[in-house]
Amino acid sequence: MHTYVFLSGILIMTYFMVIAKRLPPLISSFRLQSLFLFLFTVSLAISGGEPSLYVVAGLILILKVILIPTLLLRIIKKIKVNENLGFFMNPQLSLFTALLLTYLSYLFTFRVMNLIDRMQAASFALALCVTLLGLFIMVFRIKALSQIVGLLVMENGLFLTAVTMCRGLPFIVEFSTFLDIFISVIILGVFVYRINTLFTHIDVNKLDNLKG
Amino acid sequence: MIFIILQIIFLISLAPLVSGIITKIKNNLRLRRGQSVWQPYYNLAKLFSKDEVCSEHSSWVFKITPFIVFASSLLALFLVPAFIAKSPAQYLGDLLLLVFIFSLGRFFLALAGLDTGSSFGGMGSSREMFISSFAEPAIVMAFFAVSFNFGTTNLAATCGPGALKFSSLIAGIALLIVTLAETSRIPIDNQETHLELTMIHEAMALEYSGPSLALIELASYLKQIVFFTLISATVYPVVFCAQITPIQALTGIIIYLAKISFIAVLIAFTEVFLAKMRLFRAVDFLYFSFVLALLALIAATLGA
Repeated sequence: MHTYVFLSGILIMTYFMVIAKRLPPLISSFRLQSLFLFLFTVSLAISGGEPSLYVVAGLILILKVILIPTLLLRIIKKIKVNENLGFFMNPQLSLFTALLLTYLSYLFTFRVMNLIDRMQAASFALALCVTLLGLFIMVFRIKALSQIVGLLVMENGLFLTAVTMCRGLPFIVEFSTFLDIFISVIILGVFVYRINTLFTHIDVNKLDNLKG
Repeated sequence: MIFIILQIIFLISLAPLVSGIITKIKNNLRLRRGQSVWQPYYNLAKLFSKDEVCSEHSSWVFKITPFIVFASSLLALFLVPAFIAKSPAQYLGDLLLLVFIFSLGRFFLALAGLDTGSSFGGMGSSREMFISSFAEPAIVMAFFAVSFNFGTTNLAATCGPGALKFSSLIAGIALLIVTLAETSRIPIDNQETHLELTMIHEAMALEYSGPSLALIELASYLKQIVFFTLISATVYPVVFCAQITPIQALTGIIIYLAKISFIAVLIAFTEVFLAKMRLFRAVDFLYFSFVLALLALIAATLGA
């Protein structure tokens, strides 16, 4: 029963990220989403009795709830860009598209996958939806930092898929994924910083302008 | 039968206390001592004992409105199941009637705001109509999701032995956002404001004084408790029992009080941590709740 609370928390935080208009709310919604993911993993670990899930949950807490959002917020503070995200698609239409994506993932789960367990089906559909919405955030937002956040959201979705379908991947795979994510966030953060010093903005649709 | 009458009396006497508690929590969060939780009762008693001043340019609409607003809130109270799994007037109407009852009260309050001809009243009326045109679809959608789960739009059925579902949880959150708008809470409206330009609900009731104002305030307290009860019944349904014994009623009351105070704390925290939105940003906020309600409906149709 309480897993439903965590799952709906993840979903609502993802929707908040779709309509977030500025960078700090986007990042704090990501932090809350990861917190709900952590709680969900812990509840699965308690019910399933898989000891390695506890370690994975701890990694989520340390990396995705504490370290990565703090790092991203520090980058925003340092590069002093305009905090507005910049939309290729306005919030209302984005929300509607998100709804369509959610419906598609639910349809896919219930018609194609044919999962028997209700709980598993709901969480798989949710995981698919989070992955798709992460892709959506990457594609339809202008600032380069939102691409990083979109990637992280997609990763959260994939982790959710792995955890719901087969109780998590082998521990070493999980661990190396987290390490990869952390390293990539650091590299991308440095990259965004360099883009900003070179171009004085981080708009991805203006990067192909010639600089002379 | 006796329990049902007791439930109504209990809810009416509880309604101002909920507002008092929310104000107290808000003040304590801001490190102030704040007024006592019984302050709404003192206010009501004071207003009922006062004389009334009425503009000579106002018509019968102005005089009749407080009674209609209060009656609509009271009727809504008769429709919701609180801690007994039976609403008193369960064969009278369903969830949709509840929405229309509230619209009736709102319609007359908006008319009364226009009736006295003061500029602030008309502004409040137009804003209230603007906000409610976005809030109502979200309420109806959330109700549809709930009634899809239970197979009927009758409110009394929503307290069946339904477990906590994904869709009902999302619908509850959508209803919570709408409740912020309907009970004139902070991201949409501000109850504590003294600036007429930022008022929505208060601007309509600006011309009222004495017992009429008391009726309107009591009506808004009742409306608030109806919405809280609806949220709690959506997310965590009342336990159904065919024959009510005093012990069951007592445990029902305790569970109900726990649910209501949880929602009150939640609302107080959102009020302290959010800033008031621009009027046109409020549209986005309510649109978000509409989308959540639609999401709940989708989840309900798929059985999650």
